[in-house]
Amino acid sequence: MSDHAVAHGTGHGGASHAHGGLGKYLAVFVALCGLSTASFFTTSQHWPYHDQPSVGWAFMMAVSCTKALLVVLFFMHVKYEANWKYVLTIPASLMALFLGLALVPDIGMRVRGGFNYGYSEERYRHAAQASDTLALEQASRRVGAHSKGANSESLHSEGAHGEGAHGARGNAASGGQGH
Amino acid sequence: METAATHPVSHAHGQLAHGHGHEHGHLKLHYQPALPISNGKLMMWLFLSTEIMFFAGLIAVYIVLRFGALTWPSQSAVHLEERIGFINTFVLICSSVTVVLSLEACRSHNPAMAKMWLAATLALGGVFLAIKAYEYNQKFSHGIYPRYPRSQIYERPDLEYGSAVRVRAQELLVPLQTAGYDKPLSAAQTRRLKRLEAAAQRSPQEEQAYRRLRARREGYERFRFLQDLKTRASSTQPDVLAALAAEIMPIRPRGSHEHLEGLNDLNPWLKMPIVIPGGNMWASTYFTLTGFHALHVLVGLIVFAIMMPMRFTPDRANMIENIGLYWHFVDIVWIFLFPLLYLF
Repeated sequence: MSDHAVAHGTGHGGASHAHGGLGKYLAVFVALCGLSTASFFTTSQHWPYHDQPSVGWAFMMAVSCTKALLVVLFFMHVKYEANWKYVLTIPASLMALFLGLALVPDIGMRVRGGFNYGYSEERYRHAAQASDTLALEQASRRVGAHSKGANSESLHSEGAHGEGAHGARGNAASGGQGH
Repeated sequence: METAATHPVSHAHGQLAHGHGHEHGHLKLHYQPALPISNGKLMMWLFLSTEIMFFAGLIAVYIVLRFGALTWPSQSAVHLEERIGFINTFVLICSSVTVVLSLEACRSHNPAMAKMWLAATLALGGVFLAIKAYEYNQKFSHGIYPRYPRSQIYERPDLEYGSAVRVRAQELLVPLQTAGYDKPLSAAQTRRLKRLEAAAQRSPQEEQAYRRLRARREGYERFRFLQDLKTRASSTQPDVLAALAAEIMPIRPRGSHEHLEGLNDLNPWLKMPIVIPGGNMWASTYFTLTGFHALHVLVGLIVFAIMMPMRFTPDRANMIENIGLYWHFVDIVWIFLFPLLYLF
């Protein structure tokens, strides 16, 4: 790192620093790829915390922050910049954080905000509930079991091609020609 | 940084000396900017600090909406493929590296190399957008749009959904009825069709008759299929409607890896309304976030394309540095969007 002192010493417009080094960029690149894979790993069957999704979320956010930091520090050269970097980045980041927090009462708690505050009773009744998702998943499981066994004959039946999926596709295609 | 501290003093000195009319031929006066960076870079950083707030606002809205929602669709319910998002992450990281390498090449007096790396960045950005377009197209083909009337998403399998299915079935039934496909083939026609099907060779007239009969048979099959859907959609039983919705577009249960195909997938002409609980809010946030990000990628690509004909002598390094800062920022936004949208 002895070369930054020299680079800063010449300090004209901050543009002519030479901090590169292919090796360093390559190392950052490999780290970014590794970290992305680590995030992606949370979807694999070997990830041990599928029953506690918040563990995965925290892990992924930590990984993302690390990746963002690597890009900012090395690719955007912020590591080697003078103190102006704090002036331009910290206030903006803090405001961004406050902006997010400011959304919580109105939008985050819009459904279950408590007395006289969240969804109206009518709106709540028409909104999709977790129970809808569950009912659909269960019904889909039955559909999946059906299509594995005897094909749903009541629907695309009596086709001369009649092998379910392909039969229906064939229908669509030849029906188009028929018109 | 020592220079930043010492220069102003020497300048003040110089001006003072100048004001008193002393001649100091050796003293060179030069402008000392308030910040030790070029104006262009300062502007880019100011712009990026507004962009931080812009995207932080959007991402925060997504997080807050998502975790405040009563239910949120899984990735498979909205046909989101984690793999594709992962590939796009990789593409964008590569493009960040190439833009840095372009800057390094430009600074070390290698214009040809700088141009080559910039072209690679342009190409990688193009790949990113192409993959994004493919993903959007996949959503559209499943009836997932950010808003009605194009969006086919219904929130729950209720009476409103049933009536939407009936309306769509009726829409498809009318032309079949007009074409006379609402009646089955007579016994004689069926026999004739069988004979024609079995024939090794058909005369032009026979071929025409064969096609007409086959179209009628298939039209009638389709007619019965739609009638059946319509009847089931008229039910007032919640479980019948849920079963219908699941058959039209199944939702893979969490934890399962089975690939389920619904009637909409098997029959692309059908385009029935679908039920995805929480799907409308999902579509709004997904298209807003990825749309604004893709727009930023597009702007970056336009700037790269404009720069391509230039000769990258070292005095152009500032330019590459500034657009590079923007490009890295776009990469950082994707670094957060990828897990939030594809993996959460």
